[in-house]
Amino acid sequence: MNHRIGSIMHLRERQTRSLHRRPALLLLVASLSLVVAPLQAQSVPARKLMASLERVYGRGLGADSLSLDGAVVLRVRRHDSVLGFAQVRDVMGKDQPITYLVATDTALVLRDIDILIYREPYGGEVAYEAWRKQFRGRDARDSLVVGRQIRGISGATISVHAVTLGVRQALRQLAEWRRDGRL
Amino acid sequence: MSTRPIIALTTLAVLTAPALAAQAPEAPTERTSIGGYGEVHYTNRSGLRSPGEVNVKRFVVFLSHTFSDRLAFRSELELEDTKLEGGEDGGEVALEQAYLDYRLGDAATLRTGLVLTPVGIINEVHEPPTFNGVARPQFDREVIPTTWREIGVGLVGNLSASRGLAYRIYLVSGLRADGFGGGTGLRSGRQGGKEASFANPSLTGRLEWARPGLKLAGSFWYGGSANQDTLIGTGSFDAPVLLLAADARYDTGPLAFRGVVVRTTIGDAAGINQAYGSDVGSRIQGGYFEGGLDLVRLLQPASGQRLLAFIRHERYDLHAAVPAGTSRNAAYARRVTTLGLSYKPLWNVVFKADYALFRNRAGAGEDEALALGVGYQF
Repeated sequence: MNHRIGSIMHLRERQTRSLHRRPALLLLVASLSLVVAPLQAQSVPARKLMASLERVYGRGLGADSLSLDGAVVLRVRRHDSVLGFAQVRDVMGKDQPITYLVATDTALVLRDIDILIYREPYGGEVAYEAWRKQFRGRDARDSLVVGRQIRGISGATISVHAVTLGVRQALRQLAEWRRDGRL
Repeated sequence: MSTRPIIALTTLAVLTAPALAAQAPEAPTERTSIGGYGEVHYTNRSGLRSPGEVNVKRFVVFLSHTFSDRLAFRSELELEDTKLEGGEDGGEVALEQAYLDYRLGDAATLRTGLVLTPVGIINEVHEPPTFNGVARPQFDREVIPTTWREIGVGLVGNLSASRGLAYRIYLVSGLRADGFGGGTGLRSGRQGGKEASFANPSLTGRLEWARPGLKLAGSFWYGGSANQDTLIGTGSFDAPVLLLAADARYDTGPLAFRGVVVRTTIGDAAGINQAYGSDVGSRIQGGYFEGGLDLVRLLQPASGQRLLAFIRHERYDLHAAVPAGTSRNAAYARRVTTLGLSYKPLWNVVFKADYALFRNRAGAGEDEALALGVGYQF
């Protein structure tokens, strides 16, 4: 299965390289996508989510998708051993939703968060690794207060508070499902 | 069991897209958002035995509309001093920002309309809970003419998520030299998008580097100001103004620091002064530094509230250099020291109190002011 992912990536690299040799074609594709782009809704590309999960848990992943109270939780595993749980969620920023990922271990301790889609022109600093890594090792018992456990970023105040609140809610929700024996 | 494994597939590549489609954040459809900020001030410049003045300094409504995932309109409409009446001083209704954003990707959003000049700290980020002191720093009135906005087009974006760089770059309508003044600097030369002349297209931009708690930035403005007045020049870049700024913000939690420095050169200040009978300096420069200590953090570490005791020192000279034929005015070399408290029960609400000392090298018209204020943003 690793082999299959590997060969797909290899293929993709080759295609990218051949595009570089044809700048005119690349330009055409770029301008076409620019024209077409606004017509398409922006959802999380599978590739982006996969890359994000692989960054957290490593390669060779599998996952089961669990439906809990209408939400989808991914049970991430490698072969038969469960590595943790992941969830894609939305939280409102200043005027756009921020789509983010929470990824925990089996004890529901955060391994990492990721910003999958950020849509606003300001506050994009919440996607920076240096900011996100403050969440690693946190769980539902942490109060996660901006300015205490989580350092803010000047000029990104609204997004910093929104994502922190979103992560807090996600951890508490996961803990609740665990308490009810559903996770 | 309510836990229902729906599917178990071997690779995520196949699985995640359909599995998440069910839950997915709905693609943002058309939507209108409202926000705002405002501040009410009490200011007493005449001593406690005489009455002070109260004012609803600003009431600003933020209105945005999302047309699609990539196109959004954003605006801020500002009312200053509660009302505008004919024949009376003060009062202003003004569009502070109004632009269309076309999101091309994380790296670039194409922005068109009335935009804030991305110079220094306060011009772009001035919601009252974000800065200390009841009034904005005087530096951000006289050296950086806040709120500075012009009409134009440009790009904003993040250069790289991991390296933490963000930028903005705009081509906008220029300044007008006929409004420059010795004691007011560039302030009255701004056009603010009001039937503005595009005779002097100007470039302005900013590069920021962020870490948790830290933000460092450099910014600039470059453009002519002659506005085709034959007295000083008809070229697009005649009477050029070059402003270079650097700013830093550092917030460790218990301690918070910020500082800005600016150097502005006004080309052909001699010609401007001759043409309009003004006394503009050929160089304006200075800066300020502010340090704050969170007292709540010391007394009650678990609390999410903040009580910042701060001190700010501003030092700048509107006549750092003067052209031949203009004499240097020592009263334009100003120093302002402000001591105060900012109490924030929540991150977006603030109660403020401060005491400011206004000084200048000539020792003329010096005074002190006590100010109280409340502010909010949402």
